[in-house]
Amino acid sequence: MPTTAETKHSNGRNKGIFNNTTGFSTLITVTVLSLAWLAGFASRLFAVIRFESIIHEFDPWFNYRSTAYMVQHGFYNFLNWFDERAWYPLGRIVGGTVYPGLMITSGTIHWILHTLNIPIHIRDICVFLAPIFSGLTAIATYLLTSELWSRGAGLFAACFIAIVPGYSSRSVAGSYDNEGIAIFALQFTYYLWLKSIKSGSIFWSICTALSYFYMVSAWGGYVFIINLIPLHVFVLLIMGRFSQRLFVSYTVFYIIGLLLSMQIPFVGFQPIRTSEHMAASGVFALLMAVGALKYLHSLNPKGQWKQLLILGGLVAAGTVFLAVVLLTYMGVIAPWSGRFYSLWDTGYAKIHIPIIASVSEHQPTTWSSFFFDLHVLVCTFPVGLWYCIKNINDERVFVALYALSAVYFAGVMVRLMLTLTPVVCVLAGIAFSILLDLVLKEDEMQTAPVETEDSKNLYDKAGKLKKRTPEPVPAADSGLGMNVRSGTLIAFMILLMLFSVHCTWATSNAYSSPSIVLASYGNDGSRKILDDFREAYGWLSQNTAEDARIMSWWDYGYQIAGMGNRTTLVDNNTWNNSHIALVGKAMASNESAAYDIMTMLDVDYVLVIFGGAIGYSGDDINKFIWMVRIAEGEHPKEIHEADYFTERGEYRVDSEASKTMLNCLMYKLSYYRYDSGGSPAGYDRTRGALPGHRGFQLTYLEEAYTTEHWLVRIYRVKKPDEFNRPRLPLAKRTIPTSNNLSKKPAYDLGPMTSKRRKGLLKNKPTLVKGKKMTKLE
Amino acid sequence: MMPAMAKIQVLVLLLLYIAIQCGSLNVDTISSDIKIKNVDRSIDISSQLVKITSKVTLENTGKVPVKNFLLSVEGGAKSNLAFISAKDQNNKDLRLVETTVKGYDQVKFWRVELKEAINVASTAIIGTESVYTKALQPFPTAITQQEDQLVKYNGNLYFYSPYPVVSQKTNVVLNTKSVESFTKIKPFSQQDGTIAYGSYSNISPFTEKELNIHYKNNSPFLTVTRLARLIEVSHWGNIAIEETVEIEHTGAKLKGPFSRYDYQQDHHSGPASVRSYKTFLPASASDVYYRDTNGNISTSNMKVKKDSVELDLRPRYPLFGGWRSHYTLGYNVPSYEYLYHSGNEYLLKMRAVDHVFDDMQVDELVTKIILPEGSTNIVVNFPFTVTRLSDSLHYTYLDTKGRPVITFTKQNVVENHIQDFQIRYTFPRLLMLQEPLLVVGFLYTLFLCVIIYVRLDFSIHKPEHQHKD
Repeated sequence: MPTTAETKHSNGRNKGIFNNTTGFSTLITVTVLSLAWLAGFASRLFAVIRFESIIHEFDPWFNYRSTAYMVQHGFYNFLNWFDERAWYPLGRIVGGTVYPGLMITSGTIHWILHTLNIPIHIRDICVFLAPIFSGLTAIATYLLTSELWSRGAGLFAACFIAIVPGYSSRSVAGSYDNEGIAIFALQFTYYLWLKSIKSGSIFWSICTALSYFYMVSAWGGYVFIINLIPLHVFVLLIMGRFSQRLFVSYTVFYIIGLLLSMQIPFVGFQPIRTSEHMAASGVFALLMAVGALKYLHSLNPKGQWKQLLILGGLVAAGTVFLAVVLLTYMGVIAPWSGRFYSLWDTGYAKIHIPIIASVSEHQPTTWSSFFFDLHVLVCTFPVGLWYCIKNINDERVFVALYALSAVYFAGVMVRLMLTLTPVVCVLAGIAFSILLDLVLKEDEMQTAPVETEDSKNLYDKAGKLKKRTPEPVPAADSGLGMNVRSGTLIAFMILLMLFSVHCTWATSNAYSSPSIVLASYGNDGSRKILDDFREAYGWLSQNTAEDARIMSWWDYGYQIAGMGNRTTLVDNNTWNNSHIALVGKAMASNESAAYDIMTMLDVDYVLVIFGGAIGYSGDDINKFIWMVRIAEGEHPKEIHEADYFTERGEYRVDSEASKTMLNCLMYKLSYYRYDSGGSPAGYDRTRGALPGHRGFQLTYLEEAYTTEHWLVRIYRVKKPDEFNRPRLPLAKRTIPTSNNLSKKPAYDLGPMTSKRRKGLLKNKPTLVKGKKMTKLE
Repeated sequence: MMPAMAKIQVLVLLLLYIAIQCGSLNVDTISSDIKIKNVDRSIDISSQLVKITSKVTLENTGKVPVKNFLLSVEGGAKSNLAFISAKDQNNKDLRLVETTVKGYDQVKFWRVELKEAINVASTAIIGTESVYTKALQPFPTAITQQEDQLVKYNGNLYFYSPYPVVSQKTNVVLNTKSVESFTKIKPFSQQDGTIAYGSYSNISPFTEKELNIHYKNNSPFLTVTRLARLIEVSHWGNIAIEETVEIEHTGAKLKGPFSRYDYQQDHHSGPASVRSYKTFLPASASDVYYRDTNGNISTSNMKVKKDSVELDLRPRYPLFGGWRSHYTLGYNVPSYEYLYHSGNEYLLKMRAVDHVFDDMQVDELVTKIILPEGSTNIVVNFPFTVTRLSDSLHYTYLDTKGRPVITFTKQNVVENHIQDFQIRYTFPRLLMLQEPLLVVGFLYTLFLCVIIYVRLDFSIHKPEHQHKD
């Protein structure tokens, strides 16, 4: 309680001072926020500075490709786009299977700039979209936190979110993904929701719904909002905090948000047909019922309405719940999807959906990664949470729920760390604000705060302090001595400094790699760029037929389509598990069985990633066991995971590996004619082993291209007539040979061919032959 | 109404037809006064181009001074001809005019206009140079990775001329000793890397005798299938040049697999492939970038030399026969080196095409020149015949009415075409102020709007004051 009183007090005071110095607080706020924006933007540019302005990783390539398509062909053509370059032979209806918010956002920016004759390439807009939006996120966080607590806390939170690694991991320049703009939409929606629940105004509710609409268009994580807000309402109802404001804001938000969200083609009728969205409708019905009961209560306030109200509420809740269950049972409402089950049961995906479990970002979070992504905030946010719960009001109920649910989800999946980060920043901002309230409260001398402000300017948490400064002597109940206070202050300043150092370090080292360009550092510190991915995709785009179909593991589907501009069989939009399993089966089968699958799927080229030569650990052999698992899921008769392990259950590639392993397509394509990679020749540096099966020939495929560091290997699938020649009459057979070959052998005395063609050399002068041989040696 | 229109149309067409007839078809006759005393010809087929330089000694056997003579190119080779020029004794370029001769429809003629007429019974030595593209045919047309590339040259053993040639010699430069076969018409001699033919005497006009050479040629057979050159002139001191290059290895196609193992194992592997090549940029070039649609191509080196900037460009992958690549190369040069002015009159003098690699051949060149906004009275002067495309407008930063764009195109371009074009235009210097003023005006309006918004209250009703808490 005391803290709220203080805050209020200080606010009152601030107002007085600010009235004297007009716009002073606004100036500080604007300065801090723009500095936060700048710092957030700048700290996300490591990848651009170290490498170049380029789209990163996997999904961003698809987003970029569809944005470029939209910019080129227009919005409606984009919505109707049937992409025949993906999921051959099925194709993909892109407009209906994508959250278009990201493309629309960058397309709009592109359109505006080009209307103003600013010819910026759409790629650059895509690259810099996420860093720019990080500034907007900081502002939205500021607004949200100042709704919850105070503007000072808001400024702290804004500075935190601007640089915290948990958020910048998904929003560095070039990481052109839905999350980049979705976190902004998330925070802004929550801000508007708090605003509307505070004011009870329809205007703010509609704003919330519009912001929610943007969020729906941008990211599948909108489900988090549409469950968290009803949860908030529900908890408020339970706490007996029903009010007209709550009623108005939720009903308006729900109806308009529902209608708007259904306008996104990908979402469609899901909001009324799936279990994930049922909580919102249930709470809506409940709220209606409670509202009706309240109304009846207001007609006759003196009767036995209290019990009736509670009873009625419970009955209504029960009815709604039963109705949902019944509808699910009847099949009107789709049950929870597997992805959501895996949120509740962490082992679920591993057993039932290997394809989800195979993605590294779907693994449970470790403690270290909490600390790595949030640093000091993860320790301080419980303090903010505690204060929020201690001084509870409608909004703080929300933030408590937000924090608790986000912590849970972040614990389940590494990826959902992203939803935890904003609320941690909010609560840590509150915690730090309270702390500074305590520590700086009594100081009437202006010198100390000015100094701290200066020191803080270095890592731009600055202005917040200024706001705290005019806060002298409201109540001396803290009872802390001067030394204790300055000690604490210094300690926390050091913490914050370490925090900002850590943020910069983490963003720069862990999250700023484009992953399509690798860099290695020599002993002398010189940097060597390994550009094999683009080398291979560039080769594909220029030197294969326009309609060539490339088979690769799904990880590389988006990149092949985006950079190579070729048809792929499977890609990162893993919507068709059996198709992926088929590719996995082809990779896991021996060459002839794989050839059958490949001819069935019209494959022209096979692309594998092989890191053995440079020690790149994310290659296909290391992912291979997942291919086997996914293939086994669909084809349990042909593929058995155990066949690929040694008898002792080890996963190996050397001579002790199992026979199935040594003869499967993936193995052969990875190690075909692989003899470099240091000593002994053919040593696999990734797995630290000498491949067990070497010197084999391929019957059905031939090497089409291998990149400089062997990272990407592309094989051409031979046509049936190439390995199975049709019989020719003898006469026909000889004529072309004598014509063509008689001249070549004089020059072509490579070790491979000399044996075969020796007989044809008779007539040639031996002189030339001798020369060539010496030259070779 | 209609007949009148039709009549006018017919008339116009007729006039046009006549104009074309008169304009483009010069008709010449072969003067019998000219005799060629001696021809020293050298055919350089060591690269992918066929470069023929000849020293022709003309003799006037007539009664009047000769002011011009004819150069001719065989009907079979004329489509391959990329460049032809003639020089007099003082190494001065002579003017060549395309022309025709009655009765020789297949043959291509040029009338060379001499600076000094050849007097009666005197001689003049003229040097001619011609460059042919795609005249060397890889044979076999497909080779494996390890094989050398063999090509066939098919030309004329004699100097092709409308005049009788008294004596002639031909030197064929191959730069290789590995010759599979060649035409053996005596007298000839083969010495390391060259084959010398002749001298042959008294060859009558228009004699063609097949000259075949089948030999090893591993020099890069790279063709730029399309070169789009964009020159953007700014009066603020900078000229930006961007070249979009589509390149293809047009030698013998790669047969069978590409093996990285073989390619890495042995430096002689893939003798016919192209790993890298050099591009020379102007010495003042700065801010060079080399990228393609997937971003920066990280395998390149730049060396700043005294008189040029040397770029060692490596495509993302080695180019084997039939493989293609494309990239964009851009750089800036200071405008004072290329842009001259007096008052409001400007003259831009730049290369219509620039060096891509040695012995380059460009199938299609498209050059675009973007002049500053507000340029008028544009007069263009090309160094060689080009097809000028329609002008357009280009909009970029802070443009209001667009910048004029001059576009021209030419097929079959070689190194000899690296020559300057000239553009004259008028640009009122006051227009330089337009863009800064635009920015200033915009900011001014913005601040004004903010001031107005902050100072005035636009709310419909007054909200209660305390709601901020």
